[in-house]
Amino acid sequence: MLDALDKSLLKTVAELEGLPKGAYNIRKNGKLLSRQVSANIDIETNAEGTGIVVTIKPGTKNESVHIPVILSQAGLYDVVYNSFIIGEDADVTIVAGCGIHCGSSQAEGHAGIHDFQVGKRAKVTYVEKHFATGEGTGRRSLNPTTRVFLDEGAQAQMELTQMGGVDEADRLNEATLGPDSVLLITERVLTDGDQTAVSKNNITLKGASSRVNLISRSVMRGRSRQIFYATLDAQNKCFGHIECDAIIMDEGSNETMPALKAQHPDAELTHEASIGKIANDQLTKLMSLGLTYDQAVNRIIQGFLK
Amino acid sequence: MLDLKDLYFTVNDAEAESAAFKRHIIDGINFTFEKGKFYAITGPNGSGKTTLAKLIMGIHPVSGGKILFEGKDISDLTITERAKAGIAYSFQQPARFKGITFRDLLTIVTGIDDENKLLGILGRVGICPLSFLDKEVDAKLSGGEIKKIELATTIAANPKLAIYDEPDTGIDLWTIGPMVSLLKKEQAERRTTTIVVSHNRAFLEAADEVLIIQSGKIAYHGNLEGALPLLEDLSVCTYRDSCEGERDAGCFR
Repeated sequence: MLDALDKSLLKTVAELEGLPKGAYNIRKNGKLLSRQVSANIDIETNAEGTGIVVTIKPGTKNESVHIPVILSQAGLYDVVYNSFIIGEDADVTIVAGCGIHCGSSQAEGHAGIHDFQVGKRAKVTYVEKHFATGEGTGRRSLNPTTRVFLDEGAQAQMELTQMGGVDEADRLNEATLGPDSVLLITERVLTDGDQTAVSKNNITLKGASSRVNLISRSVMRGRSRQIFYATLDAQNKCFGHIECDAIIMDEGSNETMPALKAQHPDAELTHEASIGKIANDQLTKLMSLGLTYDQAVNRIIQGFLK
Repeated sequence: MLDLKDLYFTVNDAEAESAAFKRHIIDGINFTFEKGKFYAITGPNGSGKTTLAKLIMGIHPVSGGKILFEGKDISDLTITERAKAGIAYSFQQPARFKGITFRDLLTIVTGIDDENKLLGILGRVGICPLSFLDKEVDAKLSGGEIKKIELATTIAANPKLAIYDEPDTGIDLWTIGPMVSLLKKEQAERRTTTIVVSHNRAFLEAADEVLIIQSGKIAYHGNLEGALPLLEDLSVCTYRDSCEGERDAGCFR
């Protein structure tokens, strides 16, 4: 059922060798390829037939659900609406990701619109990898939207990675945090050639003692360009931090715009941002350990995007 | 094992009106470092100590003269080539990385990723607790922690020549003794030729030979006793008020 190309894409975006254990839903070229539910994790096609609803029972512990998307059909732009309902006190990992293989001159793209309702005290780890490959010249685009609602005491850790090969990416991350909830977003984006990637992040800290840490790591190779917007809107006593670092290689360019809005006197918001080439002292140090200049550059980028 | 022959490092003097005016940071140094000996390089701030160390590692290019390492001219070799030839360097202000751990640095320098062997290296170095291994070498480390890691990566390289630029910066008083013992042990067991740039009495006392650099030249070389009168004369210290005098602090700065 999975051909060699499917397997290769799945391995890259979901670290899967063949079909995963536990619940999964694999979507290929806009259609369901394979699905499995588990005792605690249900997956259904939504009422409109435009995506899936993943429902995780309250108290489900140490289970995972894989929902990769693979695309290899010329000219297809696949839009999917997925909802995740994570029950109270659950502790689960969701692995998403999209792999595009473009073999022709026609464009291919995917827009995954994901919303997460994370119940009281529930913990979710969401891992999303984006990758495009193929010998075709068609533009590959990935435009994901992630909306997160954290109930009281809920925790979400989101790792959003774009590895390469994507010509255009326009990402939107939105989150609303309830009382005592915690959100950690780490976004890593590598662009090359003439690629562009835009990431917009709007985080609303609504509940008392909610916390967010938003980390962005960008590497621009070639003449690629990345733009990063992040807004923390603090409406209660809360803590928020944005850390955005960009490394420019070659002739790349970057714009980074962190914004902090404190609408409550007890809000604590901080940000640190840096854009620049790889620091000379880092290169010198690794060369003094025996790496060549090129090896040192690769090692620094590899760590930075780890 | 290391010969400096008529060595110069020259820069354009920014203060000079004429761009043609040159200033020698290292001003014609001739010296031979012998295999397996422990050298302490000291001297006033800005005298050229760190520059000399960086010339040996290839971090600064040689402006004139030659550096011979085990008889071979290494003056034009890159940092990488000198590292591979057996020279290791501990920076005064070590680089900080994002996403690179102490374990990663040890693996880069030794090629070893086996857990037990890495723990063995930590045991040999002694001053870094096991909990350091998976710490990121980033801005969160204290000045003392990162210096311990820096020293450990230098020792782990098993160099023929180890250069330490002010290894005691940020190190607590209780660690300086063990640090000196460690460098002496490496010298004794592996015949590591050791060069320490320092003002710290502990390193000067540990050295087989003390070099005093002043205005880019070697003003003295020999034992510590002979160096003391000159060190007294050179004692121009901007920290004296805060440290309450060099006698109590044990500092020859």
